[in-house]
Order: sequence, then structure tokens, then C-alpha cells
Amino acid sequence: MDPLIIEATLDSPAVIFNASTNHFLISGESRPENAGKFYSPVIDWIMKLEAMAFYRKQEMQDDSTLVFVFKLDYFNSTSAKYILDILLIIKKLSGKGYKTKVEWHYDKRGDDILDAGNEFSKMIDLKFDIIAN
Amino acid sequence: MTQVSTAFEVYKFMSEKNILIAFTGYFDHLVTTSLLKNIKNKLSVIQSATGIDKKVYNILVESIENISKYASSRNPHQNIAMLLLCKSDNHFTVITGNHILNNDIPALKEKLDKVASLSSAELKKMYREQMLSKRTHENSAGLGIIDIAIKSGNQIKYDFKQLTDQTSFYLFQTEINIQK
Repeated sequence: MDPLIIEATLDSPAVIFNASTNHFLISGESRPENAGKFYSPVIDWIMKLEAMAFYRKQEMQDDSTLVFVFKLDYFNSTSAKYILDILLIIKKLSGKGYKTKVEWHYDKRGDDILDAGNEFSKMIDLKFDIIAN
Repeated sequence: MTQVSTAFEVYKFMSEKNILIAFTGYFDHLVTTSLLKNIKNKLSVIQSATGIDKKVYNILVESIENISKYASSRNPHQNIAMLLLCKSDNHFTVITGNHILNNDIPALKEKLDKVASLSSAELKKMYREQMLSKRTHENSAGLGIIDIAIKSGNQIKYDFKQLTDQTSFYLFQTEINIQK
């Protein structure tokens, strides 16, 4: 599975999804002009992760943890819906027995991102590792 | 006609009212992005342990985005808008203003009154419900207003100034307390 690498811009976050290291990172600021256009390849990629995890578990007895790292400085309310979509896919993976971990990072100067992480966690009933930077 | 004397009045007014940023003109994504970059630099000077610069920035972005959500394509002035950022001893104030059609006012007013009437806990509940139920991803303006109200922790304020039979100028205000 080829990694997905999208560089950060002034209005969109960096995305570095790498199945060979089990590390999936979204970081930066998210207020793209067209959130649907930005997030659809991200969501398409992550949807394919289940097949990869299934194959690895069945064929290679590899059950290592998939680590999803959210390091967002800011996201607008339109992006929030797509972030929720991504989290729901992670929740589904976890529900099917794959080991997953969500790291939700926030800058300890300010509580908006911390609050948003707690809200998402509550919304989808999935435990996050909340990390202050 | 703008003359030197009028310009001085503008300067005096802006200084007295502590207006940090005043912008009027055509808002689109590109203008917004360059404006925000500038504002971010300006706010980084007042960086504080409480992260108020971040909170002000978050609310500014969402407020600007609300302008385009409520502008009607049938309105010739749809993207002509205003942004003000003011600072007093106790709080920052973000005000946006834009043209809207009078026909769109009742539905908007209903939404604003609803948000203004809710407690913080009720707003969070409403936000969760909208996030989970509206899976259409359209630019649902309701979510932005709820988000602003939650983040500011203060009641939102609004006003409509009628311009013509068809249009009004819609003003939207948020205050962010400066914790000391």
C-alpha cells in the first residue's frame, strides 16, 4: 500500500499516512476552500486500510497497532465533519478487532483543540490518548 | 469624498475604539487567506499563556467563513463584507458585516436567537447532534455559529440594518474575554 503524503499549505494540513510504519499523521491547520475535495482522497485511502490490516493479520499473523496522530492547530467546522468521518473509520477498525490508537495532540496554550478532542472522543465513544505539547 | 481631514477622523476613531483590524471589501478564499496570515502575525505579538491569540484567531476564521455561507448568489453585493477586530482591557471583539437578502432574515434570525438562548452545555449537545446527524457535508452554517458561541463563551450579538426593499446589512458580533 503506497503511502499518502500531502504537504501542508496555508489553509490545509499535512497528511502522512504510512502503512509500513503503522503511523498515520494529520497535522496543521484545516480550512481548505473545498473541504470535500481535500478530504476525499484522505478518506478513500484510509478506507483501504481495513483490507491491508485484514491481510496482515490473517496471512502474516501481524497484529501491530495502527497509530493515528492528530496534531491540529486549527480546523473549521466544515473540516470537523470530515475529521469525524476519519475517526468513525478508525472506530470501525477498532470494533472489528484491529489494534488502533488515536493520539490527539494539543498546544497547552489554549483549550479549544483539547475540548474538541474530548468532544470527538465522547461523540464516537472511543478513547483517545490526549497529549499536551 | 475622502479628504485628509476625513482620513484623520478615521484614524482618531480607530485609535479611540481600539480597532486593531478593519477591512471592508470583496471577501473570497484568497483574500481571506492573506488577511488571516496577516492577522496571525499581528496576534502572535500578544501571545499569552492562556492562548487567547489562538482563540481569537479561531473565532475570526469561523466568523469570516460565515459571511460566505449567508451571502446569497442572488445578491449582487454577496461578497462585499466587513471585518473588525477590536481590543479593550477586558475583551476582544470580532464583528463581521455583510449584505443579505431580507427574505433570508427570518430563518437566520431564528437560528441566531436559538444559539443565543442556549447554555454552554446545551450548545455542546446541539453541536454533537448536528455533527452526527447532518452527514451531508454541505456548508451548514448552523454549525459555524454554534462553534463560535461555544468557543467565545459569551452570548453572540447580531443586528440587521435595512438598506433597500430587498437587502439588509447583517452584523454579527462575538466577544472573547481576556483572562487576567
